[in-house]
Amino acid sequence: MSNLKVNIAGVEFKNPIITASGTFGFGREYDRFYNIEELGGICTKGLTIKPKLGNPPPRIAESYGGMLNSVGLQNPGVDHYLQKDDLYLAKRDVVVIANVAGSTLDDYIAIAEKINGSKSDMVELNISCPNVKEGGMAFGVLPQSVERVTSAVKKACPNKPIITKLSPNVACIADNAKAAEAGGADAISLINTLSGMAVNYKTRKPILFNNNGGMSGPCVKPVALKMVWDCYNAVKIPIIGLGGITSYTDVLEFMICGARAVQVGTYNFNNPYGARDIAKDLATYVEENNMDINDLVGTLILNK
Amino acid sequence: MASLKDRIGVIKLNQKVAKDIYKMVLQFDDMPDDIKGGQFAHVKLNDKSHILRRPFCICDYDISAKTITLCYAVVGDGTKVLSSYEVGEKLQVMLPLGNGFTPDKNVKKVVLLGGGMGSAVLPAIPTSNPELEYYTYLGFANKEKVVLEEEMAKVSKQLTVATDDGSYGKKGFVTNILAEDMAKLKPDVVFCCGPEVMYKALKKALEPFDVPIIVSLEARMGCGIGACLVCNCKVKRAGEEETYVRVCVEGPVMKLSEVVL
Repeated sequence: MSNLKVNIAGVEFKNPIITASGTFGFGREYDRFYNIEELGGICTKGLTIKPKLGNPPPRIAESYGGMLNSVGLQNPGVDHYLQKDDLYLAKRDVVVIANVAGSTLDDYIAIAEKINGSKSDMVELNISCPNVKEGGMAFGVLPQSVERVTSAVKKACPNKPIITKLSPNVACIADNAKAAEAGGADAISLINTLSGMAVNYKTRKPILFNNNGGMSGPCVKPVALKMVWDCYNAVKIPIIGLGGITSYTDVLEFMICGARAVQVGTYNFNNPYGARDIAKDLATYVEENNMDINDLVGTLILNK
Repeated sequence: MASLKDRIGVIKLNQKVAKDIYKMVLQFDDMPDDIKGGQFAHVKLNDKSHILRRPFCICDYDISAKTITLCYAVVGDGTKVLSSYEVGEKLQVMLPLGNGFTPDKNVKKVVLLGGGMGSAVLPAIPTSNPELEYYTYLGFANKEKVVLEEEMAKVSKQLTVATDDGSYGKKGFVTNILAEDMAKLKPDVVFCCGPEVMYKALKKALEPFDVPIIVSLEARMGCGIGACLVCNCKVKRAGEEETYVRVCVEGPVMKLSEVVL
């Protein structure tokens, strides 16, 4: 009997395809292209305690096989989310993961307390946004702070499983995975974007107003695969893998490296049906091979 | 909510029409019948190294022929690739996206003002609103860059072409030339597309005249449908704080008075 369902921290997903935070809004826009209930899960735009305007434009630049963004967490704030989008998404048969971000530990605690009473199924802790000046990334660099913020959010939001989203811009991502686990994370997701820059040779200026941005897209996939494998060998909690996924074979590769589910981000911009198409193709593959997708997790065979 | 669709367009024409400027005609089996001048098409390139789509204004369209026309300048690697595509090649296109120019009921006399490649937005406006009277002003850097003169001549009651260096048409900035004609023209509205520097000049040049100015904005885009929040522009609306709106959804067509330049 083939199976495409996966379970992360007690939450069942009908398939392992989740849309990545910041690329899918709150689901409404893509709901006009296809029924978002065909997805396993949706990760919301990063939410902050107060509405946030984000960085001045330009906020996006293309790179070979990828892109850089510097949105800077523009969002309507957690209260707006709770009044509008949380209710909209709760009616849908899809796992909803609220992505939360803060500038201070108190911010994280305050927003976690609010999400604790929401209808969202899980919380993804954004401690790795490279596009805000303070907080965010600062919490994601050192293992001690990863553990501290994870533990604080876990206490403030006991009703929801916590996924700590890890940054690749660190000395050793496996150490941060262990720190998240020690802090009580129910799962980890990785990788967030790689810090990068796009330059205009004519003006000698960076293309992004923010100068730096986060790189994503197919070009980061090899980095992400290795980091998922490194973390798989470091922790027992489930891993959600992301970074440059554009096909069902990419999903298979991530799962073989240890991911139990995946997120699709940048590809949504290239193909608005992208995440849905990957879920469909994956279903066909699993049926044709009469397999349980869970049996793939962490089955990488290293060369001697 | 209305449904959105990604469509397959077949290239019927992809021809150089001026220095570094191309005209592309795409035909769709499932041609949408609700296009408004000022809306845009989000075009995917046929290779994965270019992960982002390119937003282009719908320069013109023909519902019965099931075609849209794009007019684009080769400014980077993506548009260079686009210019290399041959007739018969298929492209994935999301359209129509964003808000177009929607003249109020009392509008009869319209000034269309184009600056450089911004002129590419104009031809579709008379196609959407054939009952109105158009007075068109096109400004370009020099003779080599002049495009769409013939197309606009057909739909305009009066057409003025200007170049900054005087190598073709009238010499000077087209905004100043329009300002000189304003008193006798007395248009009900000005529809404009051009670079930001032109909008600044236009705002100043038309200050003495009480005429609404509606512009189309250009921005680097991601999703094109309002989800990713990268194409934002700053606006200031009466009685409200300055805020960002999405060029792809709240725009690209906006009131110039609300855009923070």
